[in-house]
Amino acid sequence: MAEFKAEVFQNEYLADGATDAHAVVSVSCSGAGKAGASGEAAEIIIIDTSGSMDMPPTKIAAARRAAGVAVGEIVDGTWFAIVSGHSVAQMVYPQHAGMAKMTDVTRREALTAVERVRSGGATAIGSWIQAATELFSQVSAAQRHAILLTDGKIEGEPPGALAQALVAARGKFQCDCRGIGADWVVDELREISTALMGTVDIVAKPEDLEADFEAMMQAAMSRGVADARLRIWTPQGSEVLFVRQVAPTVKDLTSTGVQTAPLVREFPTGAWSDESRDYHVAVRVPVAGIGNERLAARVELVVNDEVQAKSLVKAVWTTDTDLTTRIDPAVAHYTGQVKLADTIQKGLAAKAAGDDRTATVLLGEAAKLAHDSGNESTTRLLEKVVDVVDLETGTVRLKREVHKTDEMALDTRSTKTTRIRRDP
Amino acid sequence: MTDVAGICPECAHPVAGEDAFCENCGAQLIENAVAAPTRAAAEPTVAAGTEACRECGGIVADDGFCSVCGKRAPSARDHWQETPAAWVGGVCDRGIVHAHNEDAMALAALADRSLAVLVVCDGVTSAPDSDRAALAAARIACSTLSGSSLPMSDGVAATVSHWSTAITRACLDANAAAVGVARSLGNPREPPSCTFVAAVLDGDVVTLGWCGDSRAYWLPDEGVAVQLMLDHSLGTEMIQGGMTQAEAEADSTFHTITRWLGADSVDSRPELASMQLHVAGWLLVCSDGLWNYASPAVALQSLVREQMTAGRTAPVEIADVLVRFANEQGGHDNITAVLARYEPSLR
Repeated sequence: MAEFKAEVFQNEYLADGATDAHAVVSVSCSGAGKAGASGEAAEIIIIDTSGSMDMPPTKIAAARRAAGVAVGEIVDGTWFAIVSGHSVAQMVYPQHAGMAKMTDVTRREALTAVERVRSGGATAIGSWIQAATELFSQVSAAQRHAILLTDGKIEGEPPGALAQALVAARGKFQCDCRGIGADWVVDELREISTALMGTVDIVAKPEDLEADFEAMMQAAMSRGVADARLRIWTPQGSEVLFVRQVAPTVKDLTSTGVQTAPLVREFPTGAWSDESRDYHVAVRVPVAGIGNERLAARVELVVNDEVQAKSLVKAVWTTDTDLTTRIDPAVAHYTGQVKLADTIQKGLAAKAAGDDRTATVLLGEAAKLAHDSGNESTTRLLEKVVDVVDLETGTVRLKREVHKTDEMALDTRSTKTTRIRRDP
Repeated sequence: MTDVAGICPECAHPVAGEDAFCENCGAQLIENAVAAPTRAAAEPTVAAGTEACRECGGIVADDGFCSVCGKRAPSARDHWQETPAAWVGGVCDRGIVHAHNEDAMALAALADRSLAVLVVCDGVTSAPDSDRAALAAARIACSTLSGSSLPMSDGVAATVSHWSTAITRACLDANAAAVGVARSLGNPREPPSCTFVAAVLDGDVVTLGWCGDSRAYWLPDEGVAVQLMLDHSLGTEMIQGGMTQAEAEADSTFHTITRWLGADSVDSRPELASMQLHVAGWLLVCSDGLWNYASPAVALQSLVREQMTAGRTAPVEIADVLVRFANEQGGHDNITAVLARYEPSLR
């Protein structure tokens, strides 16, 4: 049985007239078990088989091998399907438009079917998402997850088809997206992974795809809690400024909240494995007099409408400036990490638009933020795009020669945060 | 509401009369807790946590915060009320600015309106743990008074004499209790200490004794309201020395008390006073957390009158309004308001 714990980090003291309460709520899960532990699980693997996957042919070959490895990781009893995506979505396995239960037999059949996948046609990701939504709707699995691989940008369907497909898919399944090579568009895959609560990443070299798919499917299979929600109560007259996941990656959940009671909103968090995630919650509360103590938010982790863990975000008004001027280290750290991700994305957008001056300033700022917060992986990614002149001042020079895939890696992984070191 | 004999002086958890130890924190209760009043028809009750939010009326959730406005519901030590009989009631409240409620009260009364005992002690904020000293002192004094014999004869003089002696003894007991708290804490350099005021309304005679600046007032429905005693404070000495009330109140040492209970007390004998009542009205005993915002007797009288006009007649209800009034003015100190209703026609 999965067990959740929630811990709150905040400075609850507010100065006279102050209204904004910030807190980092750290939620951890243990004993999650395997996928399907809390109701059936379903997996769909979507492989881009558009014509470009043959250029070079190592891509389609890698995709076949990766799909095979992923199939091998799916545990028995899981509903599954493999979809080949080009101008339309086409069933690879099973052959009819439906899902199969994983057994030794179906696994063998699926591996054989994957070998027959050939490329040809355009990239119409919206139609692939739509097909996955329909397939998932045919099974009663509580836990639904897809892997989507593409190598190109959408051009085989009208603009808006993806957005429309995502509206229908939202909440129906989670989707991890991978781009292979350098010809796909980070923003397109990020749009999907954000809407469908998944990850997005680049696999620059075809030979790395197998290992990536293996890890991705292992992660999916380790999620034994099908669906958890963050339930947030805030007092009458208050306003939720934002709700963000801030670790392990930045995800703004604010707009995903659904009001379930007069003062309560619920934010989907998807499936959980044995892991911990941090959330930054900011609430604007009605001001109260000095000496007052109020609850600014009651943050609960809810599974099947049952509260698994709870933490309280408080607001205490005081005239003691020693108390009110302190910023909680976790809140400060993650505020910095969110700014880091935002600065990198804006910097790269400026660079893409040819505004090298703005790009240099922003990426320099990012390099300083990454260094100061000990985010070494982001620092390494930045160093492939810029030459650091001075970290203290955040002075950098744009590299003359940059691999497009390095830029894309920096872009997709910009949301990966470091955790704050906590005193034991 | 839970019917209990009192609250634990260590952790403020409600405790039953027969308990020797607090169920919550395990503190020994015998020394500090009050024995059930032998003559009171009803035992004092303590609010063990209110169900409705005092601010917005919303339901208080299990975690102690209002489910509507989020306000933290006060602990039993931070806010409680007592109604030993329908005609006697009091409210003791942390106020807004102070982190702890160092005020305490203890009440006892007979249902037939023949006797009421009202005790208020205000812990000295500058001495740590004074909240415990105040609660122990108030409870032991109330216990001593409600457990003592009735006057042998009926006359006013005999009644005053009897209760003066009893109050003096109760005050010494209260002092011993405050000293006991200091001892249990290993005799800190700043020993916990408190003020003391006890009023006994026996028939139509009020007898009171006090140390410090917690006060008693007589607030008749009609006629002149009076403060029944003078504070033991530098403020009183300034006024006696010729300063006006306003001048004295402007002085930062106005509130410095010159008599208190506790291990470092220089004089723990109470000063005594008495009054015979003739007309209907209210006996009010309160801490400075209330009278700071309405020092003149006439100001308090009009506050109480307004409540009667508004249809509030229960003493605990009016005491609650007085506490709210002080909080609305800023609640800079702990607030205690205790009222007993006197009506000659009903005797």
